[in-house]
Parts: sequence; structure tokens; C-alpha cells
Amino acid sequence: MGEPRRILRFPASQRIEHAVTMVSFTILAITGLVQKYAMASLSEAIIALLGGIETVRAIHHIFAVVLMLEAIYHLGAVGYRLFVLHQPPSILLSLQDLRAGWQIFLNNLGLSRERPLQGRYTFEEKVEYWALVWGTVVMAVTGFMMWNPIATTRLLPGEFVPAAKAAHGGEAVLAVLAILVWHSYHVHLRQFNKSMFTGYLSEEEMLEEHPLELADLKAGVSPRPLDPAAVARRRRIFLPIYSLLAASMLVGVYFFTSYEHTAITTIPPAEDVVVYVPLTPTPLPTPLPTKPPPAGAPTTWEDGFADLFAEKCGSCHGTAKVGGLDLAEYEGALAGGKSGPAIVPGDPAASRLVIVQATGDHPGQLTGQELALVRAWIEAGAPER
Amino acid sequence: MRLRHTLTLMTAIVLAAAAIAAVALSHPAAAAQGLPAPASQGGVDDDTCLACHDTPGMQITLPSGEILYLTVDRVTFKTSTHGRLGYACVQCHTDISGFPHPEQMATTRRDFTLQMYTSCARCHEEKYQATLDSVHQRALAAGNQQAAVCTDCHGAHDIGPPDQPRTRIPQTCQRCHSEIYARYKDSVHGAALIGEGNPDVPTCIDCHGVHNVQGPSGGPFRLYSPLICARCHGDSELMDKYAISTDVFDTYVADFHGTTVVLFEKTAPGQETNKPVCIDCHGVHDILPPDDPGSTVIKQNLVQTCRKCHPDATTNFPSAWLSHYRPSPEHSPLVYYVNLFYEILIPTLIGGMSIFVLSDAVRRLRNRRREEARHG
Repeated sequence: MGEPRRILRFPASQRIEHAVTMVSFTILAITGLVQKYAMASLSEAIIALLGGIETVRAIHHIFAVVLMLEAIYHLGAVGYRLFVLHQPPSILLSLQDLRAGWQIFLNNLGLSRERPLQGRYTFEEKVEYWALVWGTVVMAVTGFMMWNPIATTRLLPGEFVPAAKAAHGGEAVLAVLAILVWHSYHVHLRQFNKSMFTGYLSEEEMLEEHPLELADLKAGVSPRPLDPAAVARRRRIFLPIYSLLAASMLVGVYFFTSYEHTAITTIPPAEDVVVYVPLTPTPLPTPLPTKPPPAGAPTTWEDGFADLFAEKCGSCHGTAKVGGLDLAEYEGALAGGKSGPAIVPGDPAASRLVIVQATGDHPGQLTGQELALVRAWIEAGAPER
Repeated sequence: MRLRHTLTLMTAIVLAAAAIAAVALSHPAAAAQGLPAPASQGGVDDDTCLACHDTPGMQITLPSGEILYLTVDRVTFKTSTHGRLGYACVQCHTDISGFPHPEQMATTRRDFTLQMYTSCARCHEEKYQATLDSVHQRALAAGNQQAAVCTDCHGAHDIGPPDQPRTRIPQTCQRCHSEIYARYKDSVHGAALIGEGNPDVPTCIDCHGVHNVQGPSGGPFRLYSPLICARCHGDSELMDKYAISTDVFDTYVADFHGTTVVLFEKTAPGQETNKPVCIDCHGVHDILPPDDPGSTVIKQNLVQTCRKCHPDATTNFPSAWLSHYRPSPEHSPLVYYVNLFYEILIPTLIGGMSIFVLSDAVRRLRNRRREEARHG
């Protein structure tokens, strides 16, 4: 006995890194995909739930920064392990890994009896790690271009900005699907590998997943013994260099997020127009009646007498036909009313219109001048036109 | 003598009462109930009014010194919509039932109009209610007496079909909004209407509404304005006549600006967003065809338009916008090929992963079953 039943696989720092990445990836995926597929009803519901599109974008930006900070830390942590602790770069993807992957695939298909034994990181894990690295780089570059489109177009054609958006969206779909298919199968479905949360794998699990690493551990080959003095020396070199590097990267992130004020924050300037400019003079609600100019003395029904009678007599002897008389039409004037024909062509004295008007007190009285014109017209045979 | 006096007095009272009753009964009941029916018999007919009001030059001077014209041209009224249908003067002038008329209380001509225009609501209740939601009524309620009321647009004694001819619509608005009209008449829409009599182009009311006229500020108008444009510009039957793309709305929505605006419109219609709507780039009343040298969106002018919101925009910046084109090998090839790349890459990689995962799962299930068989 005395041998540990559990083997430490991920120290707390790496588990925290995973947790930060997991949370920010998930939030970025949700807040990003609802923007890519903004018109889908599910997206709309999520956007409303999160407090609107501007809030969604703010959340996306915040967690983009979180992921960038995590990446900067990760570079330091990897550098420390490789350079200071002299740990082997076991995560590197080699030709051997691809061969192992192919071998596993053949074995799965039953075409080969052999199933390769894997070490610290399996082929499946390496694929996932490098996919994440690649995805993060693409997302950071294209994200920068969308976050700073004006800065981008100082160096590149404008079309790079929508192209960056296309790549950002395509890469997002690829990453989410890869997580769903590859990651969830290998660490959740195949068997739930809890080491990323607990830190430990059992010996049985190690034997199953990482037999070569387990063998090295048992043989005492790894971890290799370190000379504390050498570690301290390398740390003294590493820390200042990384600090400088990290500082410049942090400046980079600050630049990334605040370099450019892409757009004004106010509503675009409205049309520059004076809204209320009434025509001068402002028309009255009803146009004033315009009297036709008296173009000389009328000589026929049509060139004046019709209008004269309509104006002076029309109230009663128009459509109302008071006394049966309708002076709106020429025929009506000739026919007259109950008292006989109003106009007898050629004979003013026999015309009721002249007789009645001559008394001088008829409602709608013609002036003396008008009456004289009417007499002359009747004497001339009262022509219609 | 005394008895005779009393009798005379009583007779006078009875006659006076009868006269009052007659006047009261003579009010057009139909109009009072809000039913648009022509004047019934028994009311004061138009000819009675026109017997005096047809006389040219009738006017009174108001306390403000303005002249209130009292002449109504017979022909003008008789050929108006109301005149032709036989409506009586007193159906609008409900305060008048005989002569002498009640004392005129208006102090200015505008005062008189504002006292009178609510008469329209007696028959046109629905339209009147709609106006209460308009920019005009809100301005009036806020104390702006110049704000348009019914008669300012429709006229009073000369009311006719307001859209015949169709050019009459912008010309009506022009009376108060002449500067906007001056821009509209030279725009792609206005020139087609006024110059060519084209019935397809929008007049003022097609965008702003008719009685509930909406303005651009202080409301949801700006936010939903792209939907107004889309009513015509998304109608392929209409746009095909002019060889205009109906993709304009969809491509707008697919982009950052349009996505934001449409989402705002859906989730927060009361809020404003600083993302541009159609009119922010294309112009408002002075929209020109996009290939017109004066257009705000023609290539040589576009950067100036971008700079309205992006003051630092570079000369390369406008081509970040795909100009309402869907990416293709001809238009925005880079975007097209990036999309194509992912359209190939995603199924290939995810498909490969799926095949691997599936083969692995099958193998493991088989192994487990074999293991169980061996032990069981």
C-alpha cells in the first residue's frame, strides 16, 4: 500500500484557468451567436432576457477581455513550466499523434487490433487544445477588426471588416460545434472525466487514458528531479522578461478596447431643415371669392346674363324655383313661372322679369344699370349665345 | 283696457315661446348625433344663408385689427364635397339658427378657426380622434396656435377630395412646410410625383401618416422608419418596374446597423438608438437615386455621409459597408470567399469529428459487451 490511489493531473491554477475559459467561452458563444442569428426568435428572446442588444454587446466585450487576459496568463504559465521548471512540451502535436489518431480510428473500425497507448496528453486532448488556441487567435484578430474598424481601414481595404465579421461568425459556429461534438464526447459522454474539476484521476482511469504517463510516474522517470538553484536562476531570468511581455500585452488589450471611438454616441444629426416655413402670405382656410371682371357689357345669356341672374336671383329662382321660376337655365328663363314667361325675346314690356324689377322693391333687386342692360338684351331678341 | 293689455302680453309670450321652440327644433338633429346625413328639411337651408353671404365684400374687423371675411362664394361651396352632397351651412355653423347671429367672440382670425374646426368632429369623429395623436395636435395642446387643424389642410367652404390630383397632398403640406416641400419636389420621389405624375412614389402622408401625422423627433418614428421604406422597397412587384433591388432591407438588417435598429424596434420600441436608419444615409426629404452625382450614398460622397457618425472615418472605411449587395464573387469577393471557406470547413471538420466520435463510441460499446459476456 502507501501508493496513492489518486494521481494529481491538474493543479488548482490550471483548474481555475479552465473554469475561466469555460465561463467566458460559454458567455461569448451565447452573446455572440444571438448576434449572428439576431432575427431568430430564440435569439430575440435571449437578447430581451439579457436586457437588449447593447447590453448583449457589452457583455460580449467584457468576456472577450476576460478571455484575452486568460490567454496572457496562460502564455506566462506555459512559459514558466517549460523554461523554469523544464517540463517537457507534452502538449505539442506531433506526427506521432496523428498516427495515433489514425490508429485509433482504424481500431474503432475493427481494421486493426492495435490500440496505441497514450501519454500525458492524448491525441484527442491535443486536437482540442490547439483548436482552442487557433480559435482564440482568429477570434482576437477578427474581433479587433470589428472593434476598431476605422483603425483597420487605415491599413487594410474596408472589405476586411465585413470579412472579419464573417470569419468571426464562422469560427464561432465551428468552435461551438467542436465543443459539442468533440469535447462533450471525450470528457462527458465516453466517461465523465472529472479531473478538470477535482484535479485528480484514479489509477484505473490513468491506466485507461494515459498509460504511458502512469508508467513514467511509477518508474520515477517523471517528474524529473530539479536543481533548486537552477530553478531559482531561471526564474530570475523568466520573471522580468515575462513581466515586460505581459505588460506590453496588457497595454495591447487596453489599446484593443479603447483605442478607437468608432462612432458618435448621440443620435445621428437630423435633417437640417426649418420645419415650419409657411408660404407667404399664409392662405386662408377658404379662398376669397374672386369676382369675374365685368368684361364690357354682356350681350348674350352666356357671356353675362346667366351669371348676373345666378348671383342676384339664384337664391330663390335657382334650384329653389320660387314661384316656379328657374333662372339657372336659359329655357327656364323663357318659360317663366306661374305668372308667365320671365323673358319674351324682343319685348321687354311683356317680360315678367322686367315688369317685376321695374317696381324697385323685389328681393334680389337689380341696379338701374343692370336692368337697362337686361332691357337692351331682350330688345335685341335675348340671344342665348 | 287692462284686460286687452294682458291678453296682448300673453299672446306675445306664447308667440315668443313658439318661435324659440321652432328655432330649437330646426337644429339639424342628424348632424348633432354625429351622423353624416345631408341637411333635412326644416333646417335653415343654404340659400337662406347665401342670400346674404354670397354678397362680395362682406367682412367684419376683429379686435385684433384683422379682417374676418364673411363672403362665401356660392359656386365654390356648391361645387365642394359638402355642397354637392347637399350639406347645409348650419350643419357646421351650429351656433347659427337665424338672424341676428350670436355675437362673434373671436378676437383674431386664428381664434375663429380654432373655435370652428371642432365642428368637423361632429361627423368625422374617427378622423378627429386620429388627429389627437398627431404632431399638430400635440403642438396645439402645447400652446402653438399655428399648428394645423382640420380646415388648414382640407379648407372650409371649398373642401374637395384631398388627393385629387395626387400632387395636391404635398402641396397641402407645403402651405406650412414649404422648405421641406422644396426639398421633396427635387427628390427622386417628389420629382416623379410632381414632374411625371407617377402614382407609385410616396407623398408626405405615405410616410408620416394621414390624420395621426407623426414627426421624426420625440417618438418611435425614427426607429420604425426602415419598415416604412421597406413597405415599398421590399415589394418586388413594385420595385421590378424600376429595376430596384428588394434586397435593400434584408441586407440592411443583416448588417450591424440594421440588426441593432430592428432589434431595438422589436424589443424596445420606445428607445432611441444611435445606429443609422435608411434616412440617415440616404437623406430624408431630398433622397436622390444612389447613382445621382448629388446623392449622399454615391461612392464619391459616401465617406462624407459616414463621417456624420464616424468623424474619423478613413477613405477606405465606406467599403466596409457592402452597399446593400449580398457578397458574391463580383461584389465583396473577400467576404464571399471567407463565407465559402467556413461553409466548407465547418461540415468537413465537424463531420470528421463526428465520424471519429461515432466510431469510437461503437467500438467502446462493443468492447464493453464483449467484456460483460466474458465475465457474465
